[in-house]
Amino acid sequence: MAKGSFVNNLNFLLAGLGALPRCESLVWRATPRSSRLASHPNPTAKSPSYFLTSPNFTRIWFATLLTMAFAGPLWSAAEVTTSELKISLVSESQALVPGGQQFLGLLIEHQPHWHTYWQNAGDSGIPTKLSWQLPAAVKAGEIQWPHPQRFDLSGIINFGFDDRVLLLVPIDIASDLSERATLAVRVDWLVCREECIPGRADLALELPVAAQTSADPLFVADFAATRARLPQVVDWSARVQLDAEQARVEVALPADFPANEKPELYPLQIEVLSNARPADVSVGNGVLLWPAARSEYLQTVPEHVDLVIVNGTPPNSRAYQVRAAVVNVGTVAGTAEWATATAGARAEPMSLAAALLFALLGGAILNLMPCVFPVLTLKALALRSDSADLRHGLLYALGCVLAFVALAAVLLSLRAAGAVLGWGFQLQSPWLIGILVYLFFAMGLSLSGVYSFGERWMGIGQTLTEGESDRAAFFTGVLAAVVASPCTAPFMGAAMGYALTQSAPLALSVFATLGLGLALPFVLLCVIPGLAQRLPKPGVWMDRFKQVLAFPLYLSAVWLLWVYGEQQGPLAMARLAGGAVFLAFALWLLGLPAPLRWLRGVSIAVALAAVVFALQAGAQLQSTTQRSESANYEAYSAQRLAQLRQLGKPVLVNMTAAWCITCLANERVALSTDAVRSKMQELGVTYVKGDWTRRDDAITRYLAQFSRSGVPLYVLYPARGEPRVLPQLLTADLVVAELDALGRKP
Amino acid sequence: MHKTLLALSLAVLTTASFASTVGQPAPNFSLTDSNGKSHSLADFKGKTVVLEWTNAECPFVKKHYGADNMQAQQGAATASDVVWLTINSGAQGKQGQVDGAGANQLISKQGFKSSAYLLDASGVTGRAYGAKTTPHLYIVDAAGVLRYNGAIDSIPSADSADIPKATQYVPQALAELAAGKPISVASSQPYGCSVKY
Repeated sequence: MAKGSFVNNLNFLLAGLGALPRCESLVWRATPRSSRLASHPNPTAKSPSYFLTSPNFTRIWFATLLTMAFAGPLWSAAEVTTSELKISLVSESQALVPGGQQFLGLLIEHQPHWHTYWQNAGDSGIPTKLSWQLPAAVKAGEIQWPHPQRFDLSGIINFGFDDRVLLLVPIDIASDLSERATLAVRVDWLVCREECIPGRADLALELPVAAQTSADPLFVADFAATRARLPQVVDWSARVQLDAEQARVEVALPADFPANEKPELYPLQIEVLSNARPADVSVGNGVLLWPAARSEYLQTVPEHVDLVIVNGTPPNSRAYQVRAAVVNVGTVAGTAEWATATAGARAEPMSLAAALLFALLGGAILNLMPCVFPVLTLKALALRSDSADLRHGLLYALGCVLAFVALAAVLLSLRAAGAVLGWGFQLQSPWLIGILVYLFFAMGLSLSGVYSFGERWMGIGQTLTEGESDRAAFFTGVLAAVVASPCTAPFMGAAMGYALTQSAPLALSVFATLGLGLALPFVLLCVIPGLAQRLPKPGVWMDRFKQVLAFPLYLSAVWLLWVYGEQQGPLAMARLAGGAVFLAFALWLLGLPAPLRWLRGVSIAVALAAVVFALQAGAQLQSTTQRSESANYEAYSAQRLAQLRQLGKPVLVNMTAAWCITCLANERVALSTDAVRSKMQELGVTYVKGDWTRRDDAITRYLAQFSRSGVPLYVLYPARGEPRVLPQLLTADLVVAELDALGRKP
Repeated sequence: MHKTLLALSLAVLTTASFASTVGQPAPNFSLTDSNGKSHSLADFKGKTVVLEWTNAECPFVKKHYGADNMQAQQGAATASDVVWLTINSGAQGKQGQVDGAGANQLISKQGFKSSAYLLDASGVTGRAYGAKTTPHLYIVDAAGVLRYNGAIDSIPSADSADIPKATQYVPQALAELAAGKPISVASSQPYGCSVKY
């Protein structure tokens, strides 16, 4: 074997070197044979690179190599081995053919955990560098780098290679090359695990000249693997929007870009994007969104940056290289417009007027939500006994609007902080749900007459929302907004999706309009005297009616309790229910006509402590219960969806949450009916369900693909072609008709 | 709950990394030096401060100490009333992490000329500045504003032969700062080993 004999020769040379200490204090982990050959008297000098820069070194080494080459058979590789890696200079072909282009390779075999660097090394590290010494008839090109992978060392992000990788170098051979040629290269590398060790070696390869040649079978697989990893240069539209903090990359993807949960992106140039993978990378509407942070070292904004986009992991990866224009802007608005203008995009941006109208309508419809309606009716009752109706109406509206604006402000600041969040996140916090359970329960008890208002140390929610004061009107508005917000009614989803992709002032105005819509019916009651007069006159019936209204509140509390159970598990739910009993006891004590004041105080303190304990214990619990998988649907994952799409199967995606009343209603009246089930079975539709009860980044990203930030979302994918978004209010007939239409398509 | 906490700490971290932007106030810190004395950035208000992240076992640090480049820069800076703080953010047990005695040994053996060697084993200060490599250098002006963030010089390599050919960014920026001129290179991607957080 040609290579084997060379290696044996080399090993012989290396045999005497055991005495060389593995000395990390040497700046240069020079190749052992070099130090042997250079035989310098002082190997621990401050700058030990002397032996490499010795003018005689190269000549001596080549002479040795040549002697060996002539002594033994031809060899096609030169290599150096350290304890971290082995680097070989290899040729794809066994001979040089004059007048053509062929390829050399630098084969790097890393020991486990060690890596070397790509052309952009990332936060630290240095790219491997080659300096050629070639005969006049041979010219080497730049390294053709396979796509790298990301390494994360305690938050320091590097781009590079581990395991076995080959760096490809093209060489052009002049037609007048007539005799065997020595191709020599100086390799400078940095290899790191956590610690880093730089190295340098001079490698040389001698090849004969021939009219034709064949590939060296030893390295065929390495050359092929690297070619599969080379980025394919494509002309997709891409841009980087720079502001003070972000470098937001958008790449318009072709229709056949494989849907992949995790494309990777690597900038070729340094000092533009920061290197960490952003938390909220998304692929949707034909656009890859990579909202990177701006590099801290960016000073002069370049016109372009080249980006390598990688789908999958080697050996099954595909890499593409695009050139992105860098635009310096104050805001990051307008993605939808840009995407629409770009080929293959499907996003339909809403006009501002339409968004505001939808927001107003959506807000008004929220009044019919079972959790809002009782609160509203209660306030309407209060109207009858108060003369300052208009002022109360306006204060209520103000409460609604401010609450929505405050929620939006929180959402926007979280969005800015890079957290993946969607609307409804306030009901994804178990703490808030627990507190709402108690609030509804306490309100119910008060409506049932267990205790009466007016005690000044009552729960803050009570004093704030009950009664007929201006403050009560305002806080009822706030409460209505908080309770209504996650039940994304029809019209509202699109408006909010729109708002969240816009600049902050625009988003805030959409949210404010939502609040206004919510307040509208009540305000109408206040300002139109005819409307108010149609309400029955006050009387004893009001007390009865008040008591009746307690029951929807109890139901709301039970619903929230169930949501809490879904999130935190049955044990936490039991704790919360236990806390509710203590709360009832405390309220009952409050309502006693002739109280023993000290006993009352102690009991209430104990009850409140129990409530706090229940909330805290519940919030700490991680739910261990899995929702039982009913046979007719699969849990959502982007991979599974992509797989089904690849298999050409029709899919119905249902994004839902336990706290979303609309979602549950739709499932009941449409999706879970026998008619729909049997139709899906007949057409072979896979039913995929995503549960957003708890925050789930994958689902948030999926919603964003359809410009939504809340559930429900129903998407029907035909076997081939574009997906169809179904309305947010479903009926069995509608779904069956949609499925039928799907079946008729070719 | 955990995710909320995560999001919050993410927000804090993000804010912290924005804090190390050139032109913004530099994050304050309070660290103990190799002799047990506490220093905080606020103590040096009115003076220009250079921060140098180090790890004596990193070949890139060795490049600049071995060739006496770092000590020369430290000496020139401290001679003109600039405070030079050498900081080690290596976590306990990681390569190059030292205690006070270990740091003092390095100081005398390699002839450090910095004002103090600060120990940041928790990495809090390193993270607050976004220190990524050893070496990684920062300049904070007399008003506490960050004026330079980046590499020691213009040639990323581990070869000390490159030092004379490279532009040394810190002395250049200090001279420009002292002369009241704009800083020509106010940031550059640092090179070296990763900070061993």
